[in-house]
Amino acid sequence: MSDKIKQQNRDLTSIGDDYATKYGFRDPVDYFHKGARGVNHEVVEMISQMKNEPRWMSDIRHEALDIFFSKPMPQWGNTELLGEIDFDNIYYFMKPIKDQQKSWDDVPEYIKNTFDKLGIPEAERKFLGGVSAQYESEVVYHSMREDLKKQGIIFLGMDEALREQPDTVKKYFGTVIPSTDNKFAALNTATWSGGSFIYVPPGVDVKVPLQAYFRINAENMGQFERTLIIADRGSRVHYIEGCTAPVYSTDSLHAAVVEVIALESAYIRYTTIQNWSRNIFNLVTKRASAYRNATVEWVDGNLGSRLTMKYPCIQLLEEGARGEILSVAFAGKDQHQDAGSKVIHAAPHTSSRVTSKSISKDNGRASYRGLVKVYKNAADTKVSVECDALLIGEDARSDTYPTMEIDHDQVRIEHEARVSKVAEEQLFYLTSRGLTEDDARLLIVNGFMEPFTKELPLEYAVELNRLIELEMEGSIG
Amino acid sequence: MNKPTMNNTMNPDYLIPDLAPELQRGPSWLRDARRRSRETFNDAAVPRRGLHYWRYTDPTSFLIDRSRVSDTEYGENFGAVERIVRNHLEQGNLAGVVSDLGGREIGVHGTEELRRRGGIVASLSEASSEHPELVEQYLYQLVNASSGKFEAMNGALWNDGIFIYIPDGLAVEKPLHLLRESGLSGSAQYPRLLVIVGKNAELTVIDEYGGGSTDYNRPSYANSAVEIFGLDESRVRYVSLQRQASGMHCYLTHRARIERGATMLTIPLAFGAAVSKQNFGVQLNGPNAESRMQGMLFGSDHQHFDNHTRHHHVASETLSNIDFKVVLRDKANSAYTGLIRIENQARTCEAYQENRNLLLNRGARAETIPELEILNEDVRCSHGATLGPIDPLSVFYLLSRGIDRAEAVRMIVSGFVTPTLNQVPDDLRDRISGFVAQRLEDG
Repeated sequence: MSDKIKQQNRDLTSIGDDYATKYGFRDPVDYFHKGARGVNHEVVEMISQMKNEPRWMSDIRHEALDIFFSKPMPQWGNTELLGEIDFDNIYYFMKPIKDQQKSWDDVPEYIKNTFDKLGIPEAERKFLGGVSAQYESEVVYHSMREDLKKQGIIFLGMDEALREQPDTVKKYFGTVIPSTDNKFAALNTATWSGGSFIYVPPGVDVKVPLQAYFRINAENMGQFERTLIIADRGSRVHYIEGCTAPVYSTDSLHAAVVEVIALESAYIRYTTIQNWSRNIFNLVTKRASAYRNATVEWVDGNLGSRLTMKYPCIQLLEEGARGEILSVAFAGKDQHQDAGSKVIHAAPHTSSRVTSKSISKDNGRASYRGLVKVYKNAADTKVSVECDALLIGEDARSDTYPTMEIDHDQVRIEHEARVSKVAEEQLFYLTSRGLTEDDARLLIVNGFMEPFTKELPLEYAVELNRLIELEMEGSIG
Repeated sequence: MNKPTMNNTMNPDYLIPDLAPELQRGPSWLRDARRRSRETFNDAAVPRRGLHYWRYTDPTSFLIDRSRVSDTEYGENFGAVERIVRNHLEQGNLAGVVSDLGGREIGVHGTEELRRRGGIVASLSEASSEHPELVEQYLYQLVNASSGKFEAMNGALWNDGIFIYIPDGLAVEKPLHLLRESGLSGSAQYPRLLVIVGKNAELTVIDEYGGGSTDYNRPSYANSAVEIFGLDESRVRYVSLQRQASGMHCYLTHRARIERGATMLTIPLAFGAAVSKQNFGVQLNGPNAESRMQGMLFGSDHQHFDNHTRHHHVASETLSNIDFKVVLRDKANSAYTGLIRIENQARTCEAYQENRNLLLNRGARAETIPELEILNEDVRCSHGATLGPIDPLSVFYLLSRGIDRAEAVRMIVSGFVTPTLNQVPDDLRDRISGFVAQRLEDG
């Protein structure tokens, strides 16, 4: 095996080992505004006023805060870790600079350096159609290629969108994920700041991906970005998001809400590479509505964070809608990746496919939690769910909790799950071909992840370089 | 009827009073255990529907208003079934028959030979006075107050139950058939079974639950507990047949523990009751233990089934396999939850699980949740679930061969359940096939 391949393989199983040096650095920042710890109606009012928001948004925030207070913490999942979240110790709003910039030259040096280290401007030059960079609570840099603008594509920071596209925002905000959906969606609705807004006009194919990058820098930070994507009839778009944070000994909270709407015959792919540091609670609500003949794909990679609870959802609302969820989790030392998927079939002739892959290493725990719901009227529905888990290390743990609720008899459902360690016979086969046992093991792990790496855009240069290089794996002579 | 309050506190009519006569039954250690169970039951809140285990069934379906429980009467059907089984006994096909009326009157028939060879088949009350050391050692070990509110209810209130002990080395070739009869409308029963199969011994138990209310609006209740121990190298086959009447609310918790080199085959079969919640679990407690479960249920009308299975690997080099089949018609519904849990110290285990659901018409409804909790890497584990209507291509194929539609459906359903029925002891198989055929004819 070539050294290069060896290195790539080794990189995969050591995901996160060099996090502190590579992404875990921190900037000494003089914040434009840094609020107090904790959340209450004053904090919410302050956020709203600093953003100079219309009254209706401010009303939504206050109502959502009451919902947040009234809802109990989830009684399922890793309740022990959830119990450690100290909502009073978190900063809910930090504004690093006064205004969002359109040129990297106008962004303060230390922030630019941070994103340089993460490779964002380079990636932007090479292959992205637009970039949004969020630092703490706000988007500090945002830019889109001129030719895309001319096609009528709107790609803005969410705060900017509320100012420039108030009618569209008002029409769709909270329609896919209402504040009452869950405690963390309510918290996000109350304290949201930043995030992306995308509108693609009918028939427009956005040929290059649009990307947002989320960076947390401060300790005990709460980041609550809000994203809304609308693909109008027959349009196509691919959105990518990535994230990292410094390593601290105390916890931070990231609770995003992402609403995605694919109108008739539209296509949306939403790729997430979640690589938070291992002191971050990542509790995210993501949901898409797919209308007639539309397609939504979630490609969801979870590598970082201490505890992630995230179950991207697709609601297939009209005939011919299609959904696909590809979920990959890597649970290293002391991590719990509680990830999965939700597919709601609410119309006839709809189909969905869920593929989940997880690797648990050391004492890491990866859980797949999924729901497939088929409503009474959803005739001729096809569902397939496949979960594979690989365990590396004596104390690794894997759970699979798939739920299927089917109210219609003209439905074909298949579910499969497999959990295993690296198989002895595969090892034997490879070692008998002259590979050392370590190399053989890594090669098998690599092959296990291949369906995921094949889905990632090759050019996605940021922190996932190491995973992407695995695409080369097929080319070993 | 007073409904239990929904804020999770208990309406006093649903509590077990301090002076309930059931609490006075048995030797002092048993009375203590009953009292502890009573406390747990009374103190425990009604389970919240949000809890995973209660997501699909209303727990208040199994609460019993003691002030309204009527004297127990039994239906006529019991006599007919008893005749069939007696007939098998006379033909020499069974190792014995035990009748159990409402968890109160236990009758043991035809077990003379088994007794000669050292086996014990008796009522639990008799066994707890004649073999106190055995009963005290094993009773409540697997199903007890800490298992849950309704297990505590049985633990406090069981009147009498069945006790089976097979000594080391004894292979009982023929099945032992238990006939449990529930009372008519308004009755409540708490059947209990304790089985101990000694080292290198062998036993087949057919545990048949029948009778009960036929009136959907005036149910009767059965809350059953089953504990089975398979010691080293033992071989146990346990068939649970639930064919209770259409007004029954049936709750059953079954737990088995098998030791080194033991094998266990559990066959849960369910056809009856209005609301049926059954929970079958086997703990693999010694190396090389093997547990297989092969279950099926067939629901029709408005029946509601909620089945759980649990394979718990505690020891290394253990193997488990579950195949659970569900057939539904009319407006029947079923929820199946199956958990495989492999502990950190249980190395080199294999565990498989399959749940297949066949929905015969629109209106039937099924949920399937096969779950895995794997706490170490050295395992091989898989599960699969499928759910769907009868394959129209298969029907078309049979129609094109001149077979009419009803017969085609019968053939396909029969093909679907045959692998399960093949595991059932011969004498019982024809009756089960009959239930399946009858279910397809009805309506």
